[in-house]
Amino acid sequence: MYPPPAPPPAVEVHDLWVRFGEVEAVRGVDLSVRAGESVGLLGRNGAGKSTTMKVLAGVFPASAGHVRITGLDQHRHPMATKRLVGYCPDVGGLVPRATPWEHLQLAARLRRLDASWEDRARDLLERFDLGDVAHRVTAGFSHGMGRRLSVVLAAFHGPAVLLLDEPFDGVDPLGVEATLEVIADARATGAAVVVSTHLRDLAVDACDHAHVLRGGRVVGSLADHELEGEAGAGVYRALLD
Amino acid sequence: MPASTARSSTEARTAVERGRDVVAEARRATADVGPLLRLRISGLAGSTKRRLGLLGVLVGMLTLVAATVPAWGPGAGSGDRAQNLLLFMPSAYLGVLFIAVVSATASGGGRELLARDEAVAFPVSPTTDHLGSLLMAPLNVAWLLQAWVVLGATAYVLGPERLLLVQLPVVLWIAVATAGAQVVAWSFEWLRRTAHGGLATGILLGLLAALAVTAVAAGAVTGFLDRAPTVRIVLLSLAGRNGDWAAYAGGLGVLAALALVLVVLGAVPAHRAARRAPHEETALETSHHPARPLPGSDLRMVLRIDRAGIWRSVPLRRGVAVLALIPGGVALAGGLGWDMLLIMPGLVASGGALLFGVNAWCLDGRGGLWRETLPLSPRLGLVSRAIVLIELLVGATVGTLLLASLRAGVPSLAELVALVSVTAVVAMMVTARVLQWSVERPYATDLRSARATPAPPTAMFGYSIRLAAATTMVSLLFTGVVELGDWRLPLLVAVPFLLFSTRRLVKVARAWEDHPTRARVLATVAG
Repeated sequence: MYPPPAPPPAVEVHDLWVRFGEVEAVRGVDLSVRAGESVGLLGRNGAGKSTTMKVLAGVFPASAGHVRITGLDQHRHPMATKRLVGYCPDVGGLVPRATPWEHLQLAARLRRLDASWEDRARDLLERFDLGDVAHRVTAGFSHGMGRRLSVVLAAFHGPAVLLLDEPFDGVDPLGVEATLEVIADARATGAAVVVSTHLRDLAVDACDHAHVLRGGRVVGSLADHELEGEAGAGVYRALLD
Repeated sequence: MPASTARSSTEARTAVERGRDVVAEARRATADVGPLLRLRISGLAGSTKRRLGLLGVLVGMLTLVAATVPAWGPGAGSGDRAQNLLLFMPSAYLGVLFIAVVSATASGGGRELLARDEAVAFPVSPTTDHLGSLLMAPLNVAWLLQAWVVLGATAYVLGPERLLLVQLPVVLWIAVATAGAQVVAWSFEWLRRTAHGGLATGILLGLLAALAVTAVAAGAVTGFLDRAPTVRIVLLSLAGRNGDWAAYAGGLGVLAALALVLVVLGAVPAHRAARRAPHEETALETSHHPARPLPGSDLRMVLRIDRAGIWRSVPLRRGVAVLALIPGGVALAGGLGWDMLLIMPGLVASGGALLFGVNAWCLDGRGGLWRETLPLSPRLGLVSRAIVLIELLVGATVGTLLLASLRAGVPSLAELVALVSVTAVVAMMVTARVLQWSVERPYATDLRSARATPAPPTAMFGYSIRLAAATTMVSLLFTGVVELGDWRLPLLVAVPFLLFSTRRLVKVARAWEDHPTRARVLATVAG
């Protein structure tokens, strides 16, 4: 009689507030990302992008509002939602004296991955030009190497929700290309992708549409084609002020 | 000939100009110490500043008490005990130098006024760094205890007559020892950073250890200490008390000049060390570790990562080595008995916790944010951190006790049980306390530099005082219990301490399970 109910969005954020003492880093953000969709969070430094991403990843608790990951309430099911998410933090994100392989082993063990994770991990390390340093302590990594490894760690277990916070920051063109491929692969397998960046051009390449944040609020939502070219730059620039 | 004259005059002018440059640079570097200190203090919270102010007043008062009150104790100045103690004073003064050298050398040149990562943004001269390290040397409980011991012992041995004049040479000697230790530390650091520095410093330490072992085996330690040049400090204090002004003034002048020369001299190896790359740190940061099979449990996997955080960090490796060898070595040289060795577990545990335990989440650095996104129960993460800390504390204690036991003979059953009990008690007590501090007051640090500490020097000072006080009290209690001779008593005494520490650990685990608390800690540590 009735069509089957549509699956819930992979990421659903309703009226999200994050406060640090008197500072309101995120003020009433709403967000919805469907499986297979890629959404960008754009904005200047301090706009609330990374804080929003940290809440989605389960690192920071929401001060108010609701976050659902594939329909699961993040507050009520913290462990279950963590299993569904892969997160690349905006800075660092690596345990300084562990090797990339040890990072991968830790994640694989805790996520209960089957034995095939090793092949996928090796493939990703090669794609990100990190194969030769898989067993080297990460403290000596350059910034770009660290960013590339963070993307690998976020993606290698095939999460339902891939969260990439500033994944292109300080990364060379080959690394950017590999990251865009990872995003495309994740979408192809039905994952929802959220990319936080201040780089409009790369957001256009990586996302279907983007939300522009300013002062902790969403001040505009644009499709990728609306962000393209000179006209898109003008629109984006106008939303930043 | 004219050409030769012209060259001489140019060289002379250049040397004068160079001299002026050096003096101007030194003045600038000295002037920079003040602003950097203010920068350090400005970064502290208001409540921390107040606590530190109170602690400073307390330390000042305790120093005054240590330097004066024993002078009016029973038998002070002329009693048999005072006369016997007089014979040990040169060794005690030498001990000040030994502790200062070990502390400064193990930390690669002493405490940092500004952390390495922060310092790159500022033109901080190695001279400023050197002077800052000197200023912060007293923020070390081992240094402070030694200073209190020698001031108190001097007051007791020589009595209340002209006490200020009696103590002045001791204070100057402490300054000389501290400045001298800094020269040794910077020179060692420079040597370590040369092309084959690792090998050279290894050989040097090996030779020193062999020399110490030979001296102990030959029973030559007492003879060496009896001939210690620090006997002149005693003679100088006596000259002050007896009114031998010529000898006194001359001796004070020499000590003051020596302290000044050593302070200036320390800048030379500091500059030389700063011009070279820290090989040991870079070697560890680029080291390869072959893959091992995936462990069979989450806890074992997390433990593996946490252990890597300790054993692949230069300051932690050095700290553990110092704790495992130096106290035991001193006990071995001094031929301490088991009754005295009961104080070792507390000493080692409080020192070991200062390596990283007071800010336990700093092992993850910025990686803590990523780890938090993994499906790992917070309690399991805390258990792993507690286990690696207890491993470190107990391991270092066992190392130092094994060394010390070589001349201590066979312990009685009561002594053995007390030793095991006190080791367990202080390890648990310290672990619970420092994990509580780690949750309450985290700091952003990554322990990459050999001189890095898990918290700012002022905070470390407060932690060290509190840990040393608590563990010493417990050790003294067990020392008293052993005197009663019943092996069951130490076990009985240990039970309430272990229960109390377990209760505190459970409370810490509850606090750590609170998501906002965890987020605050991880965000702070990640910087």
